[in-house]
Amino acid sequence: MHTEHVQYDLMDYVTNRLNAKERQRVDQHLQNCSVCKNQFMELAATERFLKQSRTISPPSVYYTSILPRVRERLAVHKRSLRVYGDGFTKIVLPLAVSALFVMVLMRLPVDSISESPQTEALHQVVIDLNDVEVVQAVEHEYTGYSLSPNLEISAAGVAEHLRGDRFLKSAVSKQIENEEVSDMDFEEIISNLDQEQIDKVLSGLSERNIL
Amino acid sequence: MTNSNDLELVELFQKGNEASFNELVGRYQEKVYWIAHRFLNDHDQADDITQDVFVKVYDALKHFRGESGFYTWLYRITVNVALNAIRKQRLRDFIRIDEFFETADTENAQPDILFEKDEQQKLIEEAIAKLPEKQKAVFILRYHEELPYEEISLILKTSIGGLKANYFHAAKKIGEYVSRAHRTRSI
Repeated sequence: MHTEHVQYDLMDYVTNRLNAKERQRVDQHLQNCSVCKNQFMELAATERFLKQSRTISPPSVYYTSILPRVRERLAVHKRSLRVYGDGFTKIVLPLAVSALFVMVLMRLPVDSISESPQTEALHQVVIDLNDVEVVQAVEHEYTGYSLSPNLEISAAGVAEHLRGDRFLKSAVSKQIENEEVSDMDFEEIISNLDQEQIDKVLSGLSERNIL
Repeated sequence: MTNSNDLELVELFQKGNEASFNELVGRYQEKVYWIAHRFLNDHDQADDITQDVFVKVYDALKHFRGESGFYTWLYRITVNVALNAIRKQRLRDFIRIDEFFETADTENAQPDILFEKDEQQKLIEEAIAKLPEKQKAVFILRYHEELPYEEISLILKTSIGGLKANYFHAAKKIGEYVSRAHRTRSI
C-alpha cells in the first residue's frame, strides 16, 4: 500500500543516506508499491543527472580575498561610528529613518521630501540600506561632498527601485487582493501573478506617476 | 588557536580577541560562499552575500550565547541573507525597472571566467531557482550540504516531517523541469 512517509524517504534512499534499518523498510515497500517504485525511478534519474553536472570552483586565491574585504567593511563601519558616535546611530539615525519611512508610507508627494533631486534620491536610498550604508549616505549629504557621477546615478537608480518596491507592495495588496497582506503572503502573490495581473499593477503604478 | 573549537573561538572573540574572528571566517568562508552561490547562481552576488554574512556575524557574535551550534547559527544567517537577496532580485525583475542597470551591465559585460557552466548545470540551476523558497533551502542544505535533518530543522525552524516532504517535492520538481526541458529541445 502506498504511504507518503516512505515516499518522502525516497530521495535519501536514492542518495544512500538512510541507515540499514530504514533502507530495508524502503526496499520492502518498493516491492509492493508501484506508485513509490515509479517515484523511485524518476528520482534515481534526477539524481544521475544532478551527479553528472559540474560547477567549477573559484580559484583558491579567491577565498584568501574574503577576510581582507570583510575587515575593510568593518573598518568603514567603525569609522562611521566614530564620526557620529553611539547616540547618532542608536537614536538620531533610527528616528530619521523611521520618519522618512512614515513619510513614504503616507505617500507624501516625493517633491515635498527634499529640495533637490540628488537629496531626494539620497533620502530614498536611506530607507532601505543597512547601518553602514546609511551612515555613508548621510555622511555624503551632511559633509556636503558631491557624489561622483556614478554614485549619483546609482543613488537615483536605487531610489527608483525602492520607491517602486514600496508602492508596488501597496498596489498589489489593494488592486489584486483588495486587502492588506503580510510580507510572506506578498512573496507568494508576486510569484503567482499572471501577465494580466502584472499589467494591471503596472498600469496602476503608472497612473500614479510612480513608474 | 587553530585547535580551538568554534565555541572556544566565539568566547575568545567576546573577550576581545580579534584573531579568533579571522579563524572563524577562514573555517567557514567556503561553506558560506557555496550556500550563497547555490541560492543565487552567481559569483558576484555570492561574494557580496559572503561578505554581508560575516559582517553581520561580527556584529552579532557579541550576543551569541551558544544556544545552538555556531555553524547552525551561521547557516541560518546565510540562508536568511541569501533569501533576502533573492526577494530583492525578484522584485527588481518584477517591476521591470532594471533597464537602467541592464544597459550598464551589458556594456560592461565580461565573460564569467570563474564559472563557465555546462548546459546541464545551467538546467539544474534554472530548476532550483524556480523552487519555492522553503523547498529551495531544504534542497540546498540536504542535497548539496548534506546536513542532517536535525540541523536543517534548527536552521529553518521546520519539523523534520515537513523537511522530508519539502525535499521530496523539490527533487521531484527538479526532475520534472529537466525532463520537460529535454523534451522541448528534442522537438
